[in-house]
Amino acid sequence: MPPKVRVSDLRKRYGALEAVAGIDFTIEDGEIFGLLGPNGAGKTTTIECVLGLIQPDAGTIEICGLDARREPRAVREKVGAALQTTALPDRITPREALDLFGAFYQRRESAAALLDRFSLTTKADVAVDTLSGGQKQRLALALAFVNAPELVFLDEPTAGLDAHARRELHAEIQQMRCDGHTVLLTTHDMDEAALLCDRLAIISKGRVVATGRPRDLIADSARVQQITFTTARPFPAALLDVLPGASDMSPGAEAPGLREEGDVSRQADLNGAPRLRQDGDKSPQADPDGAPGLRPRGDTEITSATLRTSTPGATLLALVTALEAHGVGLDELHVRKATLEDVFVDLTATSTTEPTT
Amino acid sequence: MNGIWHQLRTHLTLYFRNRMAMLYGYLFPSVFLLAFYVLYRYERVPLVRHMGELLTVTILGGACFGLATTLVSERERGVWRRYRLAPIATGAIVVSTLVARYILLVTAGLLQIALAMGLGMPLPAHPLHLVVAFSLAAFAFLGLGLVIAMLADNVPAVQALGQTIFLPMLIIGGVAVPLTSLPDWALHLSAYFPGRYAVEAIQATVNGPGLGSVGFSLLALLLIGTAACVAGAGMFRWDAKQRFATSHGKGWLAVALAGWVGVGLLAQWQHRIIPMELAAERAAIAAAANRPAPAPTVPAEEPPAPAGAPASGSDLTADEHASADTTPAASPAPSEPAPATPAPTSRPTPAAITPPPAPEPVPTPRPTAPSAPAAPTPAPARPAESTTAAEPAPWEKVTRDQVMADLVFDRLPPDSGVVTPIATADQEPPEETWTDLDVLYNGLQTWAPGRVPDVLERTRNLLFVPSVIDVFQLPTEPYVPQMVYDILERDIDKDVLIKVLYWIAVHPDEGSDAAVDQMAPLGIPNGPSDIQEVRGRLGVYAVKLIGRLTGARPAR
Repeated sequence: MPPKVRVSDLRKRYGALEAVAGIDFTIEDGEIFGLLGPNGAGKTTTIECVLGLIQPDAGTIEICGLDARREPRAVREKVGAALQTTALPDRITPREALDLFGAFYQRRESAAALLDRFSLTTKADVAVDTLSGGQKQRLALALAFVNAPELVFLDEPTAGLDAHARRELHAEIQQMRCDGHTVLLTTHDMDEAALLCDRLAIISKGRVVATGRPRDLIADSARVQQITFTTARPFPAALLDVLPGASDMSPGAEAPGLREEGDVSRQADLNGAPRLRQDGDKSPQADPDGAPGLRPRGDTEITSATLRTSTPGATLLALVTALEAHGVGLDELHVRKATLEDVFVDLTATSTTEPTT
Repeated sequence: MNGIWHQLRTHLTLYFRNRMAMLYGYLFPSVFLLAFYVLYRYERVPLVRHMGELLTVTILGGACFGLATTLVSERERGVWRRYRLAPIATGAIVVSTLVARYILLVTAGLLQIALAMGLGMPLPAHPLHLVVAFSLAAFAFLGLGLVIAMLADNVPAVQALGQTIFLPMLIIGGVAVPLTSLPDWALHLSAYFPGRYAVEAIQATVNGPGLGSVGFSLLALLLIGTAACVAGAGMFRWDAKQRFATSHGKGWLAVALAGWVGVGLLAQWQHRIIPMELAAERAAIAAAANRPAPAPTVPAEEPPAPAGAPASGSDLTADEHASADTTPAASPAPSEPAPATPAPTSRPTPAAITPPPAPEPVPTPRPTAPSAPAAPTPAPARPAESTTAAEPAPWEKVTRDQVMADLVFDRLPPDSGVVTPIATADQEPPEETWTDLDVLYNGLQTWAPGRVPDVLERTRNLLFVPSVIDVFQLPTEPYVPQMVYDILERDIDKDVLIKVLYWIAVHPDEGSDAAVDQMAPLGIPNGPSDIQEVRGRLGVYAVKLIGRLTGARPAR
């Protein structure tokens, strides 16, 4: 079966800013596919191009076998969408909204069935403005299903919701998987992506920097382990430079009177680098020499640090030995596997300051 | 199609659910109507002369603010983004929104007409023509609303932009302040605004001869509306961030402006700047002052039919017609006053303080061409001094036939106008004028220039009183002429009076003007600087009295 969505070399530029710089991905039938990325990474621009809301500068978009750039109306018949930045007319009720938007499509689901499915029957005839955040999001989902779509786009569906409402929404989206719907979901919530998505594409600075199943991405990253420790007395930060296997060190609490080193950053190790699909040679993650992690200066003294290593045994042994040699005892020591968030932060760390597109 | 129909229905349903929109859409036009009713309370037939203004204000408000606010706030909040996700052209949604707004405007207009009829206004003379005029006006202004919506980024910008168009159109665009009250420069400016064409077109269908007489206004509305819709479509943006996304977006604004400018230039070229009513007033003064009125230059689109002719298909009685009609011009109006004519003082009077005009009786249509009556005899150097029986004064040779042949009564300015006004018999002077009128009345009984033996000089002197007051625009102006007429009719034989008045009308420049500077005992300041202007009014008041005496132009 051909993929439901095939996007290749999608490009969109706003003046000097290249919001989307050659994005490729495919979504298979029945799959929940996540687009992850920090704010400004190009998720919204990508989804708006795919939906035909804006015209891309270049690239091909194929949806349900149709050329989306040539037949946007035909594509919209087959696609349902719940976008963050859309709204409904003032004072409309959920039932009226479903009736109104249903009337635009050739194929449509009945408002009553959708109200029932998304637990909105009791609120069917009250003004939309009076609904809670969760109810509004459920209505947005119901509207996305009003044309019995082959493919559903959900743009940050749980943004701004409380924990209870999020859980409700997650259940709805998992139900979509059970029903065999194909879903494109954007989020910057890692847990949500790990929970809901069959596959993910991580976007940074307008490019896809990694794609894969969430557990594969985590597993690849998990080969790198993270060691965090604190000591009873300050020790020279230069000591960490010679530890075997440790790729990146971030100083924690500094000894009193020492200068601050700034933000914590982590970097995948060259030797034990996770076997992620690395898209683009210029990705800083693929360039060991371009590692932007902060290293403690040789003459500073610190009392805690975080290390990344692909050989935790050897690194730990060397660390303990070195500290012993300086007569410094360990107060705390933690070793843990990477999470999807680590993968995400690793891959997108350098693009978080880009302006929102 | 089903979707568009559904959207239209939903739009209307939601509108009627919005209390603020209802207030704006229906209360505002009703309040405006009541304000006009109070303002023009002296008119015999309530509001019939103002439906053009009232309906235009409603359309203007609904389009400049109502439509643009709806479009911009929906775009701002992302409603249009939601529509764009559906397989429907955004243009179709906009058209449906425009149609919905048109329907709302029609309901507001019907409410105004119903209210006006409840207050005593008769059914509009040409209901079907009214629908056409109203629709074309709505088309022009809805196009304008669309352009405003495309220019404005947010709702406050709509308000600002809307006000900058709405208020000038109301005040100097001929919508809320009658064109006859505007100075010439404002008349020229108003020709570039759609407002006056909407008022003219609608008014002609309510108490005028119907659409046949306002072809130019309809064309103007059509042009302005089409240009605006083309520009609105060209500048269209469904997303607030998309401002002039297309490179030639701003060029489209020029198309909308070209509509306005084109219509204004066309009006200039066709000499349509001075409205017919005002041109007629000026022509009347020219005629009464014995100066040939300039040849008509307006093309024959304005029919030379008498304005008061009963409109076909109307339910009005002849009397109602008579009272309903206000257009004194029965022949094509000259576009500019004769150069030598003392121009009536321009009065930029806001509607709120315009003296309450009284309905005008229908002038008898006369085929007589505007002409300078041939002076029957050489004018004496001082006609006032020769009253000996042996040698009759020149005015005594005037014949009744001559009077009726030479004078053009249907070109007289209306009694309800701003020039040479005369109050109707049942019009009560406002309280603040009572003292002045008392002084005047008592003063006239003993005023020396009003008691000179020479009948010509006495008449001339007495007629100077309302003429000077008219030039000064004193609040007593509409109530003085009848007072003077009464004295003249009481003291002078009717046939003699007609001859004397005729003489004064055709020779306003002959005779003494000394009385003009002797009005202190009457409570009137001395000497207006422009004696020519006073003489012009003198002639008109003289002809108006002849019209009353002969029945050619009777008072109500």
